[in-house]
Amino acid sequence: MTSEAPIIRGMGHSVKRKEDPRFLRGKGHYIDDFKLPGMLYMDIVRSPYAHARIVNIDASKALALPGVLAVITGKDLDAAGLAWMPTLMSDKQMVLPVDRVVYQSQEVAAVIATERYIAADAITLVEVEYEPLPPVMDPHKATDPDAPLVRPDRDAKTNHIWHWEAGDAARTDEVFQNAEVVVKQDLYIPRIHVCSIETCGCIASYDKIDGKLTVYMTTQAPHAIRTVFSLVSGIPEHKIRIISPDIGGGFGGKVPVYPGYVIATVASLQTGLPVKWIEDRSENLQADSFARDYHISAELAAKKDGTMQALRVKTLADHGAFDAAANPSKFPAGLFSIITGSYDLQAAHVEVDGVYTNKPSGGVAYRCSFRVTEAVHTIERLVDTLALALSLDPADVRMKNFIPPEAFPYKSPTGWEYDSGNYPAALQKAMAKIDYAGLRREQAEKRARGELMGIGISTFTEIVGAGPSHTFDILGIKMFDSCEIRVHPTGSAIVRIGVQTQGQGHETTFAQIVAEELGLPVENITVEHGDTDTAPYGLGTYASRSTPTAGAATAVAARKIRDKAKKIAGHLLEVSPDDLEWQDHKFQVKGAPGRSVTMKDIAFAAYTNFPQDVEAGLEAVDYYDPPNLTFPFGAYICVVDIDRGTGMVKIRRFVAVDDCGNIINPMIVDGQIHGGLTMGMAPALLEAITYDEYGNIQQSNLMDYLLPTAMETPVWETDKTVTPSPHHPLGAKGVGESATVGAPPAIANAVVDALSHLGVTHLDIPITPWKVYQILEAHGAAEA
Amino acid sequence: MQFTGTQQINAPAQKVWDFMLDPNMVASCAPGFQSMEILAPDHFKPTVAVGVGAVKAKFTLDVQLEDVRPPDHAGVRGRGNAVGSAVELHGAMDLTPVSDTETTMNWTADVIVNGVIASVGARLLEGTAQKLTARFFDCFRQKLEAPETPAASEAPATPSTPDASDTGNT
Repeated sequence: MTSEAPIIRGMGHSVKRKEDPRFLRGKGHYIDDFKLPGMLYMDIVRSPYAHARIVNIDASKALALPGVLAVITGKDLDAAGLAWMPTLMSDKQMVLPVDRVVYQSQEVAAVIATERYIAADAITLVEVEYEPLPPVMDPHKATDPDAPLVRPDRDAKTNHIWHWEAGDAARTDEVFQNAEVVVKQDLYIPRIHVCSIETCGCIASYDKIDGKLTVYMTTQAPHAIRTVFSLVSGIPEHKIRIISPDIGGGFGGKVPVYPGYVIATVASLQTGLPVKWIEDRSENLQADSFARDYHISAELAAKKDGTMQALRVKTLADHGAFDAAANPSKFPAGLFSIITGSYDLQAAHVEVDGVYTNKPSGGVAYRCSFRVTEAVHTIERLVDTLALALSLDPADVRMKNFIPPEAFPYKSPTGWEYDSGNYPAALQKAMAKIDYAGLRREQAEKRARGELMGIGISTFTEIVGAGPSHTFDILGIKMFDSCEIRVHPTGSAIVRIGVQTQGQGHETTFAQIVAEELGLPVENITVEHGDTDTAPYGLGTYASRSTPTAGAATAVAARKIRDKAKKIAGHLLEVSPDDLEWQDHKFQVKGAPGRSVTMKDIAFAAYTNFPQDVEAGLEAVDYYDPPNLTFPFGAYICVVDIDRGTGMVKIRRFVAVDDCGNIINPMIVDGQIHGGLTMGMAPALLEAITYDEYGNIQQSNLMDYLLPTAMETPVWETDKTVTPSPHHPLGAKGVGESATVGAPPAIANAVVDALSHLGVTHLDIPITPWKVYQILEAHGAAEA
Repeated sequence: MQFTGTQQINAPAQKVWDFMLDPNMVASCAPGFQSMEILAPDHFKPTVAVGVGAVKAKFTLDVQLEDVRPPDHAGVRGRGNAVGSAVELHGAMDLTPVSDTETTMNWTADVIVNGVIASVGARLLEGTAQKLTARFFDCFRQKLEAPETPAASEAPATPSTPDASDTGNT
């Protein structure tokens, strides 16, 4: 018996995305595309004040509007014990306020109506009487003795939330005391917004007959949401179904539970009808959880020859009015302790203090693997600060201080064990590709002519794939992830995964993993996710964890199937399974490659002709608990030219060499990096959310909040090195966030490099034309 | 937002005083004024339409005169709401006669705006406020410096022309 090996297109193939035909033809199904019979609509009354007491809510005029069925307030929810809900960070958060609002645009009441337009009209008729209170807007003043209390509901009468630290303070101080050189830099990583193209929304649909609640929801973590909903509402978990359909961008902003989801659910429970709630753009920008907002003070101890020795960091984290970040429970500051980066330091000590302010919840991980962006920006700016102070080339300083390739697995001074890396190779590749030496010569010539050109490097280390159950959980649920595979008799398969795609291409890449492991053509494999009634339990997609966790589960589940398939193959080939080997995507008899069976043959036999001692069918489930995190890395080099007349920074070239271990689909990885670089360029040059002293957000629409378009986006040049993860079943590491994390400091470093001869040593992001122009003018370098 | 200003008016101080203390007269020059309920000689509830850039809002204000010291000092305090927005203001004026027919008015205003008007219109807010102030004083001066017209102050204030609320975004 012999069989031709089929064309598989598994690992390493640029398979076109299976999801794209429906997206490109406008046939995706996003929340707002769903219309259920009898569906009602909800709209939300929001607070104009950042801090105020609610004196009275008069809904009579709204209720008088034909088509309005109900106006729900905090007092209504309070009666049902639902005015507050738990956050993912052991804090609690108002669903609707009973007596006070704590940030601008906070939900105050909800209108339920038969038509969307009626609901929108009715919210303008709800009269809310407020008594304004002084808001806390500056986190540096949040813990002043006379600061107003943001959260009087807490037992602790302070705006300080928590203190967190990592590393060895005494050892670090000792190195600093004996250091030849100490450089210090304060950095502010501004508040930014995820601003996914699809805003948040849901349809809650409670069936009063069978007592089942189905919620269609824009969520990155449907299973965890189901459990939380059950715990909070008391509805048995098997009577709750969360469906996360096509998601128009998540990036971390769709991990938290927003009040709108809960209010819509309450409205459906009361009416027995489906209730739809969709945010508009301004609501999304003003009220959903924010990212970053770290005020960092960092010091680096070094020798005069540029050898880095120790790092000391103090940070003030502005978490807004509720600590509703979506970090693993034991990590209130996320994985910020990756801050020693790619460098071999003797010691490090990192501290973060979280405070409340009268702003919406902060701390959401916006495509940054839990605070890694802030960490990478800090260390990569500091390396350049050191190089500048010592008049050394920043590339040389990096090469001198890299963790050497032979030192892996490497134990970092803040306690992480880096799995694998080859940092010099990545930087060398980037320098060769961009002609670093040539650029430095060009820069010297241009500077002599008065032209402003800068070169910036970022050699970052990421930390992704949360995470091992001994350390990582969210609300106690361990951060494993899962996969279930069923192979059908004719050799096709359905794969269900615990993670949830929001554009990453899971329907393609997870099919490729199964194709590779089982020897089935990728087009014969369907991937499903996002429906808690059918998919196995998992913690969802964020922090670049899908490939390291569910990707591993998929490989392991497929290997379980292959183990069983081997027994069936032995039966079909009439040899002992021990005499078989898996070669070229089929089982063949050792030493007799002419005798082989494909997985398609085996699948048919699994239902029609299986051996007596083997169960029928061909399926497997795996819940994968990763032994460690994975540590992707990269070397980015950015070249900027600065217009002396306008202060405009133009990215002339940007070379990104990424190493995410073994690659499942190079085209998708490239796409992830292109998107990530653009989302890294945005906060470096364009984006920031600010507030006036009264708590008014200054960027509540896309005219004021500048998202990059094709006009602002340069041509990205990507390349790669491949250093497999030694502990991941596929040797893969995860890539979704590498570029967002690595790009901002490369750009900031390039701008500082362009202006360093004027005495500029640092610029906080976003580096806007106005900021640069003021510097040029102050130094007489501006063009009239 | 803090504003201060000085107006030189070709009218006697008493005439300026009478104008400023008469809610109907003030309303007749207020850009976007729509209607008013007078609860007491020093307590009014005007409705005013304001536009900042693309955002239009109709504020219902509660205004109280305070610290009224004839013939030269008066203050005002007000608070108002529109859909999604709120405003608080505190103002004061001092009159100094320059001659029998000339008066100097020094004024201050402290305005806090919250909500949609402030966030969406942030970049235009100050400019709009200055423009509205200028429009008010143009009208104010025109009326005060014009030859006497009988019984002006008895006529109830009428809503200003529609274009008065169409402000900002220039």
